Amino acid sequence: MIKIKAKDVDVFYGKKQALFNISLDIEENQVTALIGPSGCGKSTFLRCLNRMNDVIDICSVKGEILINDFNINDKSCDVVRLREKIGMVFQKPNPFPKTLYENVSYGPTIHGMAQSKQEMDEIVETSLKKAALWEEVKDRLHEPGTGLSGGQQQRLCIARAISVRPEVILMDEPCSALDPIATAQIEELIDELKKEHTIIIVTHSMAQAARVSQNTGFFHLGQLIEHGSTDKIFKNPDNKKTQDYITGRFG
Amino acid sequence: MNKNKEQLLNKRYKAEQRFRLYGLSAIFMALLFLTIFIFKIFSTGYSAFQKTWLIVPVTFDAELMMLDQNPSKEDLQDADYYDIALKSMADLDPNANEDQENELKRMVSYFFEKEIKNELLNDPNLIGKTKEVYLTASDDLDQVFKGNYPRDLPEDQRRVSDYQLKIFDQLVANGKVESKFNISFFTNADSREAELAGIASSFMGSIFSILVCLMIAFPVAVLAAIYLEEFAPKNRFTDFIEVNINNLAAVPSIVFGLLGLGVLLAIFQLPRSTPLVGGITLSLMTLPTIIIAARASLKAVPPSIREAALAMGASRMQTTMHHTVPLSMPGTLSGTIIGLAQALGETAPLILIGMVAFVNTIPGSPMDPAASLPVQIYIWAESAERGFVEKVSACIMVLLGFLIIMNLFAQIIRHKFEKKWS
Amino acid sequence: MSEAPHTVKSYEEELKNLNANIIKMGSACEDSLGKAIQAITTRDNNIAEAVIQEDEKIDKYETLIEQQVVNLIALRQPMAIDLRETVTALKMSSDLERIGDLAKNISKRTLLLNENLPKNLVDSLNRVSTNVQKQLKSILDAYLERSAPMAVNVWEGDEQIDDLTNLCMQEVIKYLKENEKNLEDGTHLLFVTKNIERIGDHTTNVAEQVYYLVKGEYLEGDRPKGTEPIVTGEK
Repeated sequence: MIKIKAKDVDVFYGKKQALFNISLDIEENQVTALIGPSGCGKSTFLRCLNRMNDVIDICSVKGEILINDFNINDKSCDVVRLREKIGMVFQKPNPFPKTLYENVSYGPTIHGMAQSKQEMDEIVETSLKKAALWEEVKDRLHEPGTGLSGGQQQRLCIARAISVRPEVILMDEPCSALDPIATAQIEELIDELKKEHTIIIVTHSMAQAARVSQNTGFFHLGQLIEHGSTDKIFKNPDNKKTQDYITGRFG
Repeated sequence: MNKNKEQLLNKRYKAEQRFRLYGLSAIFMALLFLTIFIFKIFSTGYSAFQKTWLIVPVTFDAELMMLDQNPSKEDLQDADYYDIALKSMADLDPNANEDQENELKRMVSYFFEKEIKNELLNDPNLIGKTKEVYLTASDDLDQVFKGNYPRDLPEDQRRVSDYQLKIFDQLVANGKVESKFNISFFTNADSREAELAGIASSFMGSIFSILVCLMIAFPVAVLAAIYLEEFAPKNRFTDFIEVNINNLAAVPSIVFGLLGLGVLLAIFQLPRSTPLVGGITLSLMTLPTIIIAARASLKAVPPSIREAALAMGASRMQTTMHHTVPLSMPGTLSGTIIGLAQALGETAPLILIGMVAFVNTIPGSPMDPAASLPVQIYIWAESAERGFVEKVSACIMVLLGFLIIMNLFAQIIRHKFEKKWS
Repeated sequence: MSEAPHTVKSYEEELKNLNANIIKMGSACEDSLGKAIQAITTRDNNIAEAVIQEDEKIDKYETLIEQQVVNLIALRQPMAIDLRETVTALKMSSDLERIGDLAKNISKRTLLLNENLPKNLVDSLNRVSTNVQKQLKSILDAYLERSAPMAVNVWEGDEQIDDLTNLCMQEVIKYLKENEKNLEDGTHLLFVTKNIERIGDHTTNVAEQVYYLVKGEYLEGDRPKGTEPIVTGEK
């Protein structure tokens, strides 16, 4: 099933065009990896999906992005509601400098998802469990989240993102600051999460894209060069540029 | 080739050593000046915290005080103490002629009558009895006792006569002169008499001014900073505002004084010489400092925190109020305290709005006339009496102490509340 | 290779080296097969001995290629064309090694055969083996040129080899029936024929691998097969 459908998306930073005519279908409950060299527009595209580009004054987005057949670039789309449905995990772990509990409960609080303290406790616990962090932190929920290790911080950020039960989770190079073990834990987590969420991950590591994703899109110079199943892309891509990129022959 | 390299390396090391030396000597110079300054202030100022008292036997003669039998409290209040006060001073030298009696009277402060009265009010049973009472020595004798007065000057160039010195020396020999901690320096308002002058009025004036300044400048500046940093679109208009805020920070403080004089006093008719007007004027001056500090600390909040909050679906307002502002608070607060410390030391604008007036009452509210500590220093430094010299230094010490405590507070806030983010 | 060079030059070198070793191993096999056939048809035991010696060289190539492939996978994590290149090399090397073994086996049997063999048998053998040699050469060329059509040609050509093998088999069986004395030679000849046919099969395997290397997909459909081999004559 198609969860997100991008149609002819153009993105401009001021006068400079960053994305050209991107059309891409993203399957529900699968992991889609976006790869490509630095500055190719993959992160820009990712940030179109929860309208994080709105924050940048000079950035303008054209074209349609349909999520559940609803165009999020439409004026009637409420950004706050949209971001409740579409969570995001960033490159550098960025927990709030507050306690673990406050980190995870922040989303449910502002969206009014819990009626009582007990309900909130439950949300925090399930989110942390889903993020495979509960066992490590259950005794120190009221200690600052910034005291965790890098990998734990990133899992905390994932717990924070899934606390509001988003349909889609966007991940912008979530492991680039982590060591291999922490990376493996996150990858395992991604595999678990795809049962309930649609995941789109931007990564610089082709090996990671190959490991975690079912579909892969290759971006180059603001264009979507190739999009298809991950094993096809990594075994036998159709496009020469894709092949040159993934075999390390670029440039 | 190799030798050249060797030489070059040596040169580089020498250059580094020279540079260290310059730096060290600069620091040494700065420390030296600071030490000299502090030594000077302390050596002249410490004695102001001591006060010289003459112990004089006073006979509470009911007749001289024109009191009836069994006087009521009001009677004691209204009684005439001048005569017994005068008499007890004159009694120090039974052989004194009229001129000498006058000189004897001038050995204590003009406040001596009140001191005697207070003694009786505390213990009405003293009527008809004699008791040794502590009387504030005149400022000149105070200085003599502290050794600050040159005795070898010819008599006509001194404010203390040979006769007074003789009597004083007798008192000292009899142990009737005592030096005690000068409480009145902190509890009295300003006075023309150095021995009675205190900093209570200016201290309270400064505190009220700072409070007014804080209450106006802080909210305005923080709101302005938040708007400019988080909400304002980046365009020419906001650029213009930004440039002007920076310019405002560079405006000489006396200009703000003129503004206070011209607008607050002339147009709004606010009461002259009050901490209210002073505080408003100072807040204008402090405003850009706080805005700049607040903006800098808002900028220092990593964008990743904002992104995290926005991506969770927080509105811009929530992002700012829940995350950015609390994180920037330590920086903003320490900037505010430093701005206030600057304002605390400011003299020129306060002089212009009349806080330089002689105020001998302690203000109870920002609407009462008051001086402020730096202005007090200015007033006393202008005064001719020898007794004020040490007061100036003492006042500087109090002001410095105040500033150090404020800066310390700023440091503590910064260290304690500054949160670490990865 | 037609690809643009890798950013990492040593990686590029390693891939080129692997490719070169496959080619070398392939020509060694071609050489062994040719000599083995020559030895059996001209009844030259010296050549047969040489073939047996050479097999050791081919085995060494296989070990070398295997090591190179393992190194590439462990250290370079090849992707796409590079991955296919590496995996194909591994599989090709094992097929080529089998071809070397079979040539060696032919030569061993050659040493045990009688001096005089019927001409028609030698001609039959010659026919099959020439075909197989041609196939082996073509597939090595196809590998060198990364040509899918050439690989498909080789793949389809196996049908003819099967047919020729069957003919040859029938003649050997007939020779066996003629005289009891022929039992030893005939049995050896049966195995030689079968070995040549097996070499053809391995060549076909290589053809499939070359096709996968170039196209990234498997050669689909059933391979055209010749007539079913007649294992036993009528009783």
